[in-house]
Amino acid sequence: MDKRVWAIGGGKGGTGKSFVAASLGLHLASLDRDVVMVDADLGAPNLHTLLGLKAGHPDLGDFLTGRIPSLEAAAVATPYKGLRLVRGSENILFIANLAHYRKLRLLRQVRQVQTQNVILDLGTGSSFNTLDFFLSANPGVVVATPEPTAIENTYLFLKSCIMRVLKLYMDHYKIRDLHQKMLDQIEKNSQSLYGFFRSLMETDRAYGTILYRALRGFRPCLVMNKTRDERDVLLGRSVADVARKYLLIDMKYLGAVPYDEDVHTSLRRLRPYYPEHRDAAAARAIRQMSEELAYSIEFTLRTPPEIRLPDA
Amino acid sequence: MLKKIEDWNYYELLSVERTASPDEIWDGYQAALTTYQDGSLALYGLVSEAERELVLGRVQEAFQTLRDPDARREYDLALLRHAPYFPPKAAFRKSVGKLEIEEAPPRPALWARIKRLFVKNL
Repeated sequence: MDKRVWAIGGGKGGTGKSFVAASLGLHLASLDRDVVMVDADLGAPNLHTLLGLKAGHPDLGDFLTGRIPSLEAAAVATPYKGLRLVRGSENILFIANLAHYRKLRLLRQVRQVQTQNVILDLGTGSSFNTLDFFLSANPGVVVATPEPTAIENTYLFLKSCIMRVLKLYMDHYKIRDLHQKMLDQIEKNSQSLYGFFRSLMETDRAYGTILYRALRGFRPCLVMNKTRDERDVLLGRSVADVARKYLLIDMKYLGAVPYDEDVHTSLRRLRPYYPEHRDAAAARAIRQMSEELAYSIEFTLRTPPEIRLPDA
Repeated sequence: MLKKIEDWNYYELLSVERTASPDEIWDGYQAALTTYQDGSLALYGLVSEAERELVLGRVQEAFQTLRDPDARREYDLALLRHAPYFPPKAAFRKSVGKLEIEEAPPRPALWARIKRLFVKNL
Protein backbone atom coordinates (compact mmCIF):
# COMPACT_ATOMS: atom_id res chain seq x y z
CA MET A 1 0.00 0.00 0.00
CA ASP A 2 1.27 3.45 -0.92
CA LYS A 3 1.33 4.88 2.54
CA ARG A 4 2.18 8.36 3.63
CA VAL A 5 2.86 9.82 7.05
CA TRP A 6 2.22 13.54 7.26
CA ALA A 7 3.53 15.47 10.27
CA ILE A 8 2.34 18.96 11.07
CA GLY A 9 4.73 20.74 13.42
CA GLY A 10 6.35 24.04 14.18
CA GLY A 11 8.24 25.97 16.78
CA LYS A 12 5.62 28.25 18.24
CA GLY A 13 2.26 27.59 19.83
CA GLY A 14 -0.90 29.08 18.37
CA THR A 15 0.28 29.11 14.77
CA GLY A 16 -2.51 26.79 13.73
CA LYS A 17 -0.80 23.41 13.51
CA SER A 18 -3.87 21.52 14.69
CA PHE A 19 -6.13 23.59 12.45
CA VAL A 20 -4.01 22.76 9.39
CA ALA A 21 -3.82 19.10 10.43
CA ALA A 22 -7.58 18.83 10.98
CA SER A 23 -8.43 20.56 7.71
CA LEU A 24 -5.96 18.40 5.83
CA GLY A 25 -7.43 15.24 7.33
CA LEU A 26 -11.00 16.31 6.57
CA HIS A 27 -10.05 17.19 3.03
CA LEU A 28 -8.31 13.87 2.38
CA ALA A 29 -11.26 12.02 3.89
CA SER A 30 -13.65 13.95 1.64
CA LEU A 31 -11.71 12.54 -1.31
CA ASP A 32 -12.64 9.03 -0.09
CA ARG A 33 -9.19 8.36 1.22
CA ASP A 34 -8.51 6.42 4.34
CA VAL A 35 -7.01 8.70 7.00
CA VAL A 36 -5.86 8.10 10.56
CA MET A 37 -5.09 11.24 12.54
CA VAL A 38 -2.89 10.93 15.60
CA ASP A 39 -2.91 13.70 18.18
CA ALA A 40 0.79 13.53 18.97
CA ASP A 41 0.73 16.87 20.79
CA LEU A 42 1.82 15.15 23.98
CA GLY A 43 1.65 18.17 26.25
CA ALA A 44 -1.60 19.78 25.16
CA PRO A 45 -3.78 17.61 22.95
CA ASN A 46 -6.85 19.20 21.39
CA LEU A 47 -7.20 17.83 17.89
CA HIS A 48 -10.48 16.13 18.89
CA THR A 49 -11.99 19.54 19.70
CA LEU A 50 -11.07 20.85 16.27
CA LEU A 51 -12.82 17.85 14.74
CA GLY A 52 -15.91 18.49 16.87
CA LEU A 53 -15.41 15.46 19.13
CA LYS A 54 -15.22 15.05 22.88
CA ALA A 55 -12.21 13.76 24.76
CA GLY A 56 -12.48 10.19 25.94
CA HIS A 57 -11.17 6.67 25.75
CA PRO A 58 -9.51 4.90 24.02
CA ASP A 59 -6.72 7.41 23.53
CA LEU A 60 -3.00 7.52 22.84
CA GLY A 61 -2.24 7.00 26.53
CA ASP A 62 -4.17 3.72 26.56
CA PHE A 63 -1.98 2.47 23.74
CA LEU A 64 1.24 3.67 25.30
CA THR A 65 0.49 2.06 28.65
CA GLY A 66 -0.40 -1.21 26.94
CA ARG A 67 -4.11 -1.22 27.81
CA ILE A 68 -4.73 -1.37 24.08
CA PRO A 69 -2.54 -3.67 21.98
CA SER A 70 -2.13 -1.52 18.89
CA LEU A 71 -2.47 2.01 17.58
CA GLU A 72 -5.02 0.67 15.13
CA ALA A 73 -7.31 -0.26 18.04
CA ALA A 74 -6.91 3.20 19.57
CA ALA A 75 -8.14 4.87 16.38
CA VAL A 76 -11.82 5.66 16.83
CA ALA A 77 -14.25 6.39 14.02
CA THR A 78 -15.38 9.99 13.52
CA PRO A 79 -18.59 11.29 11.93
CA TYR A 80 -16.54 11.81 8.77
CA LYS A 81 -16.32 8.82 6.44
CA GLY A 82 -12.84 7.36 6.16
CA LEU A 83 -11.41 9.48 8.97
CA ARG A 84 -10.30 7.88 12.22
CA LEU A 85 -8.73 9.64 15.15
CA VAL A 86 -6.32 8.61 17.88
CA ARG A 87 -7.16 11.06 20.62
CA GLY A 88 -4.43 12.61 22.72
CA SER A 89 -4.10 11.42 26.28
CA GLU A 90 -5.46 13.47 29.12
CA ASN A 91 -2.92 11.98 31.46
CA ILE A 92 -0.51 14.74 30.53
CA LEU A 93 2.14 14.36 33.19
CA PHE A 94 2.82 10.80 32.23
CA ILE A 95 2.64 11.20 28.51
CA ALA A 96 4.47 14.50 28.01
CA ASN A 97 7.62 12.89 29.33
CA LEU A 98 7.44 9.88 27.09
CA ALA A 99 10.01 7.19 27.78
CA HIS A 100 12.34 6.34 24.93
CA TYR A 101 11.08 2.79 24.37
CA ARG A 102 7.49 3.99 24.30
CA LYS A 103 8.38 6.53 21.65
CA LEU A 104 10.03 3.83 19.53
CA ARG A 105 6.94 1.67 19.89
CA LEU A 106 4.70 4.52 18.80
CA LEU A 107 6.91 5.26 15.78
CA ARG A 108 6.86 1.60 14.79
CA GLN A 109 3.09 1.38 15.14
CA VAL A 110 2.58 4.52 13.06
CA ARG A 111 4.35 2.71 10.24
CA GLN A 112 2.26 -0.41 10.74
CA VAL A 113 -1.22 1.06 10.99
CA GLN A 114 -3.41 -0.07 8.08
CA THR A 115 -4.27 3.11 6.23
CA GLN A 116 -3.16 5.22 3.29
CA ASN A 117 -2.55 8.38 5.24
CA VAL A 118 -1.43 8.98 8.79
CA ILE A 119 -1.47 12.59 9.95
CA LEU A 120 0.54 13.39 13.06
CA ASP A 121 -0.44 16.60 14.79
CA LEU A 122 2.66 17.54 16.76
CA GLY A 123 3.13 19.75 19.75
CA THR A 124 5.08 22.95 20.16
CA GLY A 125 8.74 23.13 20.91
CA SER A 126 11.87 21.21 20.13
CA SER A 127 11.78 18.26 22.49
CA PHE A 128 13.34 15.06 21.17
CA ASN A 129 9.93 13.41 21.02
CA THR A 130 8.47 16.08 18.76
CA LEU A 131 11.57 16.21 16.57
CA ASP A 132 11.67 12.46 16.08
CA PHE A 133 8.01 12.33 15.09
CA PHE A 134 8.58 15.17 12.67
CA LEU A 135 11.66 13.58 11.15
CA SER A 136 10.01 10.19 10.76
CA ALA A 137 7.32 11.68 8.53
CA ASN A 138 7.27 12.52 4.89
CA PRO A 139 6.14 15.17 4.22
CA GLY A 140 6.89 17.17 7.36
CA VAL A 141 5.04 20.47 7.32
CA VAL A 142 6.14 23.43 9.45
CA VAL A 143 3.38 25.90 10.21
CA ALA A 144 4.37 29.51 10.91
CA THR A 145 2.57 32.84 11.15
CA PRO A 146 3.84 36.19 9.87
CA GLU A 147 5.11 37.42 13.23
CA PRO A 148 8.71 37.83 14.44
CA THR A 149 8.17 35.41 17.32
CA ALA A 150 6.87 32.69 15.03
CA ILE A 151 9.64 33.23 12.48
CA GLU A 152 12.29 33.12 15.18
CA ASN A 153 10.89 29.89 16.57
CA THR A 154 10.54 28.39 13.12
CA TYR A 155 14.26 28.82 12.52
CA LEU A 156 14.95 27.42 15.97
CA PHE A 157 12.76 24.41 15.24
CA LEU A 158 14.50 23.83 11.90
CA LYS A 159 17.91 24.15 13.53
CA SER A 160 16.89 21.64 16.19
CA CYS A 161 15.72 19.24 13.48
CA ILE A 162 19.02 19.65 11.66
CA MET A 163 21.01 19.00 14.85
CA ARG A 164 18.87 15.96 15.59
CA VAL A 165 19.35 14.50 12.09
CA LEU A 166 23.09 15.05 12.27
CA LYS A 167 23.29 13.61 15.77
CA LEU A 168 21.39 10.46 14.79
CA TYR A 169 23.76 9.92 11.90
CA MET A 170 26.78 10.64 14.08
CA ASP A 171 25.59 8.09 16.61
CA HIS A 172 24.92 5.57 13.89
CA TYR A 173 28.40 5.95 12.42
CA LYS A 174 29.96 6.15 15.88
CA ILE A 175 31.47 9.59 15.36
CA ARG A 176 30.18 11.06 18.60
CA ASP A 177 33.21 13.29 19.13
CA LEU A 178 31.95 15.38 16.23
CA HIS A 179 28.77 16.13 18.12
CA GLN A 180 30.41 18.37 20.68
CA LYS A 181 32.31 20.12 17.92
CA MET A 182 29.05 20.75 16.12
CA LEU A 183 27.36 22.11 19.24
CA ASP A 184 30.29 24.46 19.88
CA GLN A 185 30.36 25.76 16.36
CA ILE A 186 26.75 25.96 15.36
CA GLU A 187 25.68 28.47 17.98
CA LYS A 188 28.10 31.11 16.72
CA ASN A 189 26.32 32.82 13.84
CA SER A 190 24.12 32.34 10.82
CA GLN A 191 26.90 30.86 8.71
CA SER A 192 28.05 28.47 11.38
CA LEU A 193 26.42 25.44 9.81
CA TYR A 194 28.27 26.16 6.63
CA GLY A 195 31.48 26.66 8.63
CA PHE A 196 30.98 23.35 10.42
CA PHE A 197 30.59 21.46 7.17
CA ARG A 198 33.46 23.30 5.53
CA SER A 199 35.90 22.38 8.28
CA LEU A 200 34.55 18.84 8.38
CA MET A 201 35.02 18.44 4.63
CA GLU A 202 38.62 19.49 5.02
CA THR A 203 39.40 17.14 7.88
CA ASP A 204 37.21 14.15 7.01
CA ARG A 205 35.59 14.23 3.63
CA ALA A 206 33.87 10.85 3.89
CA TYR A 207 31.95 11.68 7.06
CA GLY A 208 31.35 15.20 5.79
CA THR A 209 29.67 13.80 2.70
CA ILE A 210 27.54 11.37 4.69
CA LEU A 211 26.33 14.08 7.03
CA TYR A 212 25.73 16.56 4.24
CA ARG A 213 23.65 14.04 2.33
CA ALA A 214 21.71 13.28 5.49
CA LEU A 215 21.03 16.99 5.86
CA ARG A 216 19.88 17.31 2.25
CA GLY A 217 17.50 14.41 2.80
CA PHE A 218 15.65 16.50 5.37
CA ARG A 219 13.12 18.29 3.20
CA PRO A 220 10.49 20.08 5.25
CA CYS A 221 7.64 22.14 3.81
CA LEU A 222 6.50 25.51 5.07
CA VAL A 223 2.97 26.84 5.43
CA MET A 224 2.39 30.47 6.34
CA ASN A 225 -0.85 30.59 8.27
CA LYS A 226 -3.09 33.56 9.13
CA THR A 227 -1.76 35.80 6.36
CA ARG A 228 -3.52 39.12 6.01
CA ASP A 229 -1.93 40.65 2.90
CA GLU A 230 0.41 39.99 0.01
CA ARG A 231 3.42 40.92 2.14
CA ASP A 232 2.68 38.06 4.52
CA VAL A 233 2.39 35.63 1.63
CA LEU A 234 5.76 36.73 0.26
CA LEU A 235 7.29 36.40 3.72
CA GLY A 236 6.80 32.63 3.51
CA ARG A 237 8.72 32.52 0.26
CA SER A 238 11.52 34.57 1.82
CA VAL A 239 11.71 32.31 4.89
CA ALA A 240 12.02 29.20 2.72
CA ASP A 241 14.69 30.89 0.64
CA VAL A 242 16.65 31.96 3.71
CA ALA A 243 16.41 28.42 5.14
CA ARG A 244 17.72 27.02 1.88
CA LYS A 245 20.65 29.41 1.87
CA TYR A 246 21.63 29.60 5.52
CA LEU A 247 20.49 26.29 6.94
CA LEU A 248 21.42 24.35 3.77
CA ILE A 249 18.12 22.46 3.75
CA ASP A 250 15.84 21.93 0.81
CA MET A 251 12.75 23.68 2.10
CA LYS A 252 9.64 23.95 0.03
CA TYR A 253 7.14 26.75 0.46
CA LEU A 254 3.69 25.27 0.10
CA GLY A 255 1.78 28.50 0.32
CA ALA A 256 -0.23 30.71 2.60
CA VAL A 257 -3.51 30.16 4.41
CA PRO A 258 -5.35 33.48 4.68
CA TYR A 259 -6.64 34.66 8.03
CA ASP A 260 -10.30 33.84 8.49
CA GLU A 261 -12.45 34.95 11.39
CA ASP A 262 -14.72 31.96 10.75
CA VAL A 263 -12.00 29.62 12.02
CA HIS A 264 -12.45 31.21 15.40
CA THR A 265 -16.24 31.14 15.12
CA SER A 266 -16.22 27.45 14.17
CA LEU A 267 -14.01 26.66 17.11
CA ARG A 268 -16.34 28.48 19.49
CA ARG A 269 -19.22 26.42 18.16
CA LEU A 270 -17.12 23.24 18.55
CA ARG A 271 -17.56 22.42 14.91
CA PRO A 272 -14.81 21.70 12.39
CA TYR A 273 -14.11 24.57 10.01
CA TYR A 274 -13.33 22.77 6.77
CA PRO A 275 -16.59 20.96 5.86
CA GLU A 276 -18.73 24.04 6.48
CA HIS A 277 -16.49 26.54 4.69
CA ARG A 278 -15.31 24.60 1.69
CA ASP A 279 -15.43 27.63 -0.58
CA ALA A 280 -13.58 29.98 1.75
CA ALA A 281 -10.11 31.16 0.75
CA ALA A 282 -8.48 29.34 3.67
CA ALA A 283 -10.11 26.01 2.74
CA ARG A 284 -9.10 26.49 -0.89
CA ALA A 285 -5.51 27.10 0.21
CA ILE A 286 -5.53 23.88 2.27
CA ARG A 287 -6.87 21.94 -0.72
CA GLN A 288 -4.21 23.32 -3.00
CA MET A 289 -1.46 22.40 -0.54
CA SER A 290 -2.66 18.87 -0.05
CA GLU A 291 -2.89 18.37 -3.81
CA GLU A 292 0.59 19.69 -4.26
CA LEU A 293 1.94 17.38 -1.58
CA ALA A 294 -0.05 14.36 -2.66
CA TYR A 295 1.05 14.55 -6.25
CA SER A 296 4.47 16.04 -5.91
CA ILE A 297 7.08 13.71 -7.31
CA GLU A 298 9.60 14.71 -4.70
CA PHE A 299 7.50 13.19 -1.96
CA THR A 300 6.28 10.15 -3.80
CA LEU A 301 9.53 8.89 -5.17
CA ARG A 302 12.11 10.31 -2.82
CA THR A 303 11.67 8.84 0.59
CA PRO A 304 13.62 10.36 3.45
CA PRO A 305 16.74 8.58 4.61
CA GLU A 306 15.97 5.88 7.12
CA ILE A 307 16.79 7.20 10.54
CA ARG A 308 17.61 4.54 13.04
CA LEU A 309 17.09 5.68 16.55
CA PRO A 310 19.69 4.42 18.99
CA ASP A 311 18.16 1.95 21.38
CA ALA A 312 19.81 3.50 24.43
CA MET B 1 26.53 22.53 -3.38
CA LEU B 2 28.09 23.79 -0.24
CA LYS B 3 29.01 27.44 -0.67
CA LYS B 4 29.77 30.38 1.49
CA ILE B 5 27.34 33.26 1.11
CA GLU B 6 30.06 35.46 -0.40
CA ASP B 7 30.68 32.75 -3.01
CA TRP B 8 27.12 32.56 -4.28
CA ASN B 9 26.92 33.46 -7.90
CA TYR B 10 24.43 36.01 -9.16
CA TYR B 11 21.89 33.37 -10.12
CA GLU B 12 22.01 31.71 -6.74
CA LEU B 13 21.62 35.09 -5.07
CA LEU B 14 18.42 35.75 -7.00
CA SER B 15 17.32 32.08 -6.68
CA VAL B 16 16.84 31.71 -10.45
CA GLU B 17 18.12 29.25 -13.01
CA ARG B 18 20.99 30.18 -15.27
CA THR B 19 18.61 29.98 -18.20
CA ALA B 20 16.19 32.46 -16.58
CA SER B 21 14.40 34.97 -18.80
CA PRO B 22 14.59 38.73 -18.05
CA ASP B 23 11.14 38.49 -16.46
CA GLU B 24 12.22 35.67 -14.16
CA ILE B 25 15.30 37.64 -13.21
CA TRP B 26 13.11 40.64 -12.38
CA ASP B 27 10.87 38.41 -10.22
CA GLY B 28 13.90 36.89 -8.50
CA TYR B 29 15.27 40.37 -7.87
CA GLN B 30 12.01 41.54 -6.35
CA ALA B 31 11.89 38.44 -4.15
CA ALA B 32 15.47 38.96 -3.00
CA LEU B 33 14.75 42.63 -2.25
CA THR B 34 11.78 41.58 -0.11
CA THR B 35 13.92 39.07 1.73
CA TYR B 36 16.88 41.32 2.41
CA GLN B 37 15.18 44.72 2.84
CA ASP B 38 15.70 46.72 6.00
CA GLY B 39 13.67 45.27 8.86
CA SER B 40 12.83 42.10 6.95
CA LEU B 41 11.00 39.60 9.12
CA ALA B 42 12.40 36.67 7.16
CA LEU B 43 15.85 37.20 8.62
CA TYR B 44 14.68 37.67 12.17
CA GLY B 45 16.71 35.63 14.60
CA LEU B 46 19.04 34.20 11.99
CA VAL B 47 20.96 36.80 10.00
CA SER B 48 22.80 39.82 11.41
CA GLU B 49 22.31 43.38 10.18
CA ALA B 50 25.83 43.63 8.72
CA GLU B 51 25.34 40.43 6.80
CA ARG B 52 21.98 41.57 5.49
CA GLU B 53 23.55 44.75 4.08
CA LEU B 54 26.32 42.74 2.48
CA VAL B 55 23.90 40.39 0.74
CA LEU B 56 21.61 43.25 -0.31
CA GLY B 57 24.60 44.97 -1.95
CA ARG B 58 25.40 41.80 -3.85
CA VAL B 59 21.77 41.39 -4.89
CA GLN B 60 21.86 44.89 -6.47
CA GLU B 61 25.13 44.02 -8.14
CA ALA B 62 23.66 40.77 -9.47
CA PHE B 63 20.61 42.50 -10.91
CA GLN B 64 22.66 45.27 -12.54
CA THR B 65 24.76 42.64 -14.29
CA LEU B 66 22.03 40.22 -15.31
CA ARG B 67 19.62 42.86 -16.67
CA ASP B 68 22.18 43.94 -19.26
CA PRO B 69 22.46 41.24 -22.00
CA ASP B 70 26.09 42.00 -22.81
CA ALA B 71 27.21 42.04 -19.21
CA ARG B 72 25.22 38.87 -18.58
CA ARG B 73 26.87 37.05 -21.50
CA GLU B 74 30.27 38.03 -20.23
CA TYR B 75 29.40 36.95 -16.72
CA ASP B 76 27.99 33.62 -17.95
CA LEU B 77 31.20 32.87 -19.83
CA ALA B 78 33.30 33.65 -16.78
CA LEU B 79 30.97 31.48 -14.68
CA LEU B 80 31.09 28.54 -17.08
CA ARG B 81 34.85 28.48 -16.85
CA HIS B 82 34.47 28.05 -13.10
CA ALA B 83 31.68 25.51 -12.98
CA PRO B 84 29.81 23.66 -15.74
CA TYR B 85 26.05 24.04 -15.79
CA PHE B 86 23.63 21.15 -15.72
CA PRO B 87 20.04 22.29 -16.18
CA PRO B 88 17.52 20.67 -13.85
CA LYS B 89 15.64 17.70 -15.18
CA ALA B 90 12.04 18.26 -16.16
CA ALA B 91 9.65 17.54 -13.35
CA PHE B 92 6.76 15.21 -14.04
CA ARG B 93 3.84 14.18 -11.94
CA LYS B 94 3.69 10.62 -10.87
CA SER B 95 -0.08 10.89 -10.80
CA VAL B 96 -0.14 11.21 -14.59
CA GLY B 97 1.41 7.76 -14.97
CA LYS B 98 -0.99 6.32 -12.40
CA LEU B 99 -4.03 7.83 -14.06
CA GLU B 100 -3.02 6.43 -17.42
CA ILE B 101 -2.77 2.98 -15.94
CA GLU B 102 -6.15 3.32 -14.29
CA GLU B 103 -7.83 4.56 -17.46
CA ALA B 104 -6.42 1.84 -19.67
CA PRO B 105 -8.97 -0.87 -20.53
CA PRO B 106 -8.66 -3.99 -18.40
CA ARG B 107 -6.54 -6.74 -19.88
CA PRO B 108 -8.76 -9.52 -21.29
CA ALA B 109 -8.58 -12.88 -19.63
CA LEU B 110 -6.44 -15.63 -21.10
CA TRP B 111 -9.34 -17.52 -22.63
CA ALA B 112 -10.63 -14.39 -24.37
CA ARG B 113 -7.18 -13.74 -25.83
CA ILE B 114 -6.86 -17.27 -27.16
CA LYS B 115 -10.37 -17.07 -28.60
CA ARG B 116 -9.50 -13.84 -30.38
CA LEU B 117 -6.73 -15.64 -32.23
CA PHE B 118 -9.19 -17.99 -33.92
CA VAL B 119 -12.47 -16.08 -34.09
CA LYS B 120 -12.46 -13.02 -36.33
CA ASN B 121 -14.65 -9.97 -35.57
CA LEU B 122 -15.14 -10.89 -31.94
